[in-house]
Amino acid sequence: MTPAAVSVRDLTVQYGRRLVFQEVSFDIAAGQSLGVLGPNGSGKTTLLRTLAGCLVPRSGDIRIGGLMPRDALTRAGVAYFAGDATLPGSVRASRWGSLGNGDVVTPDRRPIRALSRGTRQLLGLRTVLGRQPLGLVLLDEPWEALDPDAARWLETKRDRGAALVLSSHRLHDLAGFCDSYLFLLPHHAKVVHAHDISPTSPVTAGQLAEVFDKLRGGAMSLRAVS
Amino acid sequence: MVPTQPTLIVWTFVVVVAIGIITIVREPSRSADMMVPVLLLQLFAASSGFEVPARRGHYDLLLTSGHRRVSIGLVHWATSIAPGVVAWLVLAVVEAAATRGADRRLLASGTCAAMALVSTMPWAITVRLPRFSGGIGWLLVLTLSTSVLSPVNVPGPSASDIGEWIRPAWDFLVYPVVFVGCELDLGEGLIAAPALMLALAAMLAACRWVSGASVPLEAAQ
Repeated sequence: MTPAAVSVRDLTVQYGRRLVFQEVSFDIAAGQSLGVLGPNGSGKTTLLRTLAGCLVPRSGDIRIGGLMPRDALTRAGVAYFAGDATLPGSVRASRWGSLGNGDVVTPDRRPIRALSRGTRQLLGLRTVLGRQPLGLVLLDEPWEALDPDAARWLETKRDRGAALVLSSHRLHDLAGFCDSYLFLLPHHAKVVHAHDISPTSPVTAGQLAEVFDKLRGGAMSLRAVS
Repeated sequence: MVPTQPTLIVWTFVVVVAIGIITIVREPSRSADMMVPVLLLQLFAASSGFEVPARRGHYDLLLTSGHRRVSIGLVHWATSIAPGVVAWLVLAVVEAAATRGADRRLLASGTCAAMALVSTMPWAITVRLPRFSGGIGWLLVLTLSTSVLSPVNVPGPSASDIGEWIRPAWDFLVYPVVFVGCELDLGEGLIAAPALMLALAAMLAACRWVSGASVPLEAAQ
């Protein structure tokens, strides 16, 4: 069996007194991808930020290539991007783009705030994905504002040997893209493998919605199923 | 790479230095006066605030780069105070040139102590607060101190018991300008020491916080 690139055991995170999620456990092998699904406020961003070492969990254990998250930043290589809103608006796009691995991502010298939202999102993604080496890639709602070409470009980046964790609240973004899915719900979390949902063909958004509803006890308020 | 200073602060330093250069060239004896606006601006420049931009995700690329958190904090501090330090050194060089090296009040130990204090304490105080809060708070304390207690005076070295040292030490803490241009003797050095020690302790506490802090994303809470 392939050793886990990421191993999470009984992870519990809270902000002050507010419990975000509790006892979340999963493994991801190198080159495998995990899609994190859940309603707004379920803790998707918090989970990714904890894996990136930006947050200290209340309890539980995270190992990335056998290392604690902050040690893994140096030794395993972690790329994390939480969306275009996290880019500082006053910095020139060309300068920001060179922060990944020194390569020129864009020659555009305009401040980031002057770019369109999709261009900002693409700039952020291209910058973090330029990092080497990469053992783990954490992308929070990476498809937000991307045009079809950029979305296709993002899909070409998945097979690079790194473990990949993607979050979205829109099921069709992740449908067919991941090897397993983590459903983050208000009081529990569950990992379901793609082949358990659809053994013979890529997982569809409808199938994800069915699993989601089952886990939520049948409630139907999904917005993104088309 | 993420600027810690608004462009306005940098340009204000440029204007202050330009006025300072003209004044010092014409009247070298007024060099210490030209440090007052530099110190005041530095008070605000150093109050750059770390946590607020970090929680907006602006430092995510840095925080996940594998660099030690303490190094990130110290670089943040260094870039915050750099414009003020450069402004100070430019004026000091101009003073040395204008007086042909005879007068070095801007490199005197009292000036260095004042610069050290306004370059450290505000950054440390503001590390978890919004930009400029440290500077605003400091001005508030200074105003209260001068209106409630008595006007700030240049501390004298003649104090004989501990009670007489407290007020001058407090005056230096809230208004470091009192020592600008002075070469500190032992007595004045002892008056300045508590404030500098406090600033050092504040810096250590701030670096420790940066080193271990959770940095949630504003929108994720």
